[in-house]
Amino acid sequence: MEDHIIEMRNITKRFPGIVALDGVTVQIRKGEIYAILGENGAGKSTLMSILFGMVEPDEGEIYIRGRKERISSPNYATELNIGMVHQHFKLVSNYTVTENIILGREPKHRLLGVFPAVDMKKAEAEVAELSRRYGLEVDPKAVISGVNVSARQRVEILKMLYREAEILIFDEPTAVLTPQEIEALLEIIRMLRDGGKTIILITHKLEEIRQVADRCAILRRGRLIGVREVASTDAEEMANLMVGREVSFHTEKKKAEFGKTVLQVKGLTVLNEDKFPVVKGVSFAIRSGEIFAIAGVSGNGQVEIAHAIAGLMKESEGDILLNGESLLSKDVRERIEAGIAYIPEDRQEMGLILDFKLKDDLALKKYYRHPFAERKILKHKTFEEYGSKLIDRYDIRCANSTETLVRAMSGGNQQKAIVGREIEQDASLTIFVQPTRGLDIGAIERIHAQIVEERDRGRAVLLISLELDEIMDLADTIAVIYNGEIGKIAPAEEFTTQEVGAYMMGIGKGQEGGKHEKAQ
Amino acid sequence: MKKRNETVLVAVIAVILGLLAGAVMMLILKKNPLSAYYNLLQGSGLAPKGKYAGGKSMFSDFSSYIDFLTPMLFAALAVAVALKAGLFNIGISGQMLTGAFLATVLVGYGNLPAVLAKPLVILIAAAGGGVVGIIIGFLKSRFNISEVVSSIMLNYIASYIISFFINTRYVDPVSRQSKEIGQASRLTLHQVLVGGFRYDFALGFILAIIAILIVRFIFDRTVLGYELKAVGANREAARYAGIRVNRSILLSMGLSGLLGGLAGATYFLGYTASIQPKVLPSTGFDAIAVCLVGGSSPVGIFFASFFLEIIEKGSTYMSSQAGLEAEIASVIMGLILLTSACSSFILAKVSRRRVEGRGSK
Repeated sequence: MEDHIIEMRNITKRFPGIVALDGVTVQIRKGEIYAILGENGAGKSTLMSILFGMVEPDEGEIYIRGRKERISSPNYATELNIGMVHQHFKLVSNYTVTENIILGREPKHRLLGVFPAVDMKKAEAEVAELSRRYGLEVDPKAVISGVNVSARQRVEILKMLYREAEILIFDEPTAVLTPQEIEALLEIIRMLRDGGKTIILITHKLEEIRQVADRCAILRRGRLIGVREVASTDAEEMANLMVGREVSFHTEKKKAEFGKTVLQVKGLTVLNEDKFPVVKGVSFAIRSGEIFAIAGVSGNGQVEIAHAIAGLMKESEGDILLNGESLLSKDVRERIEAGIAYIPEDRQEMGLILDFKLKDDLALKKYYRHPFAERKILKHKTFEEYGSKLIDRYDIRCANSTETLVRAMSGGNQQKAIVGREIEQDASLTIFVQPTRGLDIGAIERIHAQIVEERDRGRAVLLISLELDEIMDLADTIAVIYNGEIGKIAPAEEFTTQEVGAYMMGIGKGQEGGKHEKAQ
Repeated sequence: MKKRNETVLVAVIAVILGLLAGAVMMLILKKNPLSAYYNLLQGSGLAPKGKYAGGKSMFSDFSSYIDFLTPMLFAALAVAVALKAGLFNIGISGQMLTGAFLATVLVGYGNLPAVLAKPLVILIAAAGGGVVGIIIGFLKSRFNISEVVSSIMLNYIASYIISFFINTRYVDPVSRQSKEIGQASRLTLHQVLVGGFRYDFALGFILAIIAILIVRFIFDRTVLGYELKAVGANREAARYAGIRVNRSILLSMGLSGLLGGLAGATYFLGYTASIQPKVLPSTGFDAIAVCLVGGSSPVGIFFASFFLEIIEKGSTYMSSQAGLEAEIASVIMGLILLTSACSSFILAKVSRRRVEGRGSK
């Protein structure tokens, strides 16, 4: 029997409408770097949230150092010497480095022998000592808002070490770092392991795993697909396991008949709030009767492309033409009226107003027009009738028909409402972003069929998805985006899943093989 | 329909709990709460007093109660209109002052006949308050400056600038307030003798009822109302739907300020006839409480104002009769607000649990 510091047995966690984890078992040895690999939504973060006490599993047992534990809160996890660096740092930005690190565990002394107070001198000395011992360079007196992202991450790591964590969980730690900073972080992780710590690394980047991890568990759609010794496997196998070689379901579709060009995007550059380019000079065109898919790992600029087309984000350079007419001077409503339907990624924050009744949400893009309003006065009867029609046509399940509060509906039915509403726009271009995220298999099939129907009706479809299966299954043309740039555009038949996967990771065909040989 | 019932229930429970808590406090002070509460009704002309001074009756008390109530109706509506779009207008006091001061100076001290002066007062006050509201809305939509901060600051700016002009140019040396306006421009027909009794006829009250109906119509039946609700409930989704969010913010703050200006007109050119320098009218703040108790619906606001203002109006009489300090009324108001905030919280908890229960099935 091996010495496992952590054992999570048969962990199952359900959220309304989806199974996030389905009987997952992982066993982690003391002193190893254990990577958890998977696509977005595969259940990696949920699994670690359970280990860190933020989420309680519906089923399954957790053993820490051989003892069965019920980890009910992050505080208890800390007591068990488990620490976690979250993807979004949890630091108080107007506190100093030291204050952040000691927060909740402040060394105390008594001023004038009476008044209890935080012993800041002692704390700073301790932080400086920790920082020296682990080579994590920070200025104990610097204020968090004044230090850069990688220093903030070091503060998060020190925070764990200050709490005497032995098991360190890193949730996508490299997502926010530059390549040089990534190198440095991986070095730190290696050193922590050599110092006797156990490391769990959540990531979807194969390269990092190959560099530092000892073993790797692969999750897909909430299930554990396999555990591999990193030394005896290669990137290709891991990629296959992560993405899934076999396409799990297939949508019936006839051969595409392309018509005239509907959407043309020319040299589009989009800046984010920090004036940083997230879409860099992207060009593509979509014809009527075509499903054009953009594949890519989350956060590579694909959502921003959709926002820019819809007018929700300002394009800083380039041009967008719909049916030959430039959209640049048009605002959101004018673009909707020009013929753009948009199913956004975030259905609850953007696609719907949760505190509206279903009939009001279904009319969200038509409420001001005939027959929903005459001379700025709403016609409630039209809302009612239109709502009932869409509820029937799109099989939206809701307790009180058109009067149902959208918040009270399940995620799948909320999405049906959005998809129905947008299809009814009769637009020339329909944008689907992550249309099936978090939905069960039945709902997914239905939406896939609807996407194909849209195409067959002669509309142009822009599909943006993180699910490679979905893209391979539906797309007529695939563009792969990495770091705001489109790596390759080609008809779907010319791509293999593995090739798309390689472009998604920023390693084109051929390059990956090269690296792989080097590693051996 | 169900939601409306729940809102009413919350308000009623909150008021009962607040009154009970007030009663406990009076018992501690060794006073009879029942008679004290009865005094409140008597003071507002809703129950007969033991004896009346010459020319007074229960109905004349009631007429002055309606006069007192009118500014609150406008002020609470002003809160509701901003709240619909997700904005918190704490600047109603400043909007009241601005509107009222402009109307006082431009019309109140002139010699226009009543038929011209009264409509003009209403228009000028509405415009003055509206402009202040639009400034707040502009700062919010253009520079994303919190409307809470800017409206509080504008309260002080308005109050001190107006105080400066009152003290230097319009002060009445005896009362230390602005000089009284002429009766022609006053929106309340003050102490009118009818059948041997004196009444205050608040013309603004009719306007307030019309305003309630108009706001209700805007909320429920117009494109504007739909847009304000969308912006208030989810700004991102509103933008996504093509609603011009900034325009909605400007409009709702302008409308809110306009109603604030009308509250000012009916207060300073109706209920009173002069402005006290350096004092922000408490109506502007109490209106927030009234609006919340009224579930920020126009009709709810009518009932909430009607009920809560009894406590304010009757407090003087209660104080003289029961020997309780008049400030007790403010304490009871505070307690009601506290309990109503708590009960909305409890209701939200309960309904969320219900929703989750349904969702997981």
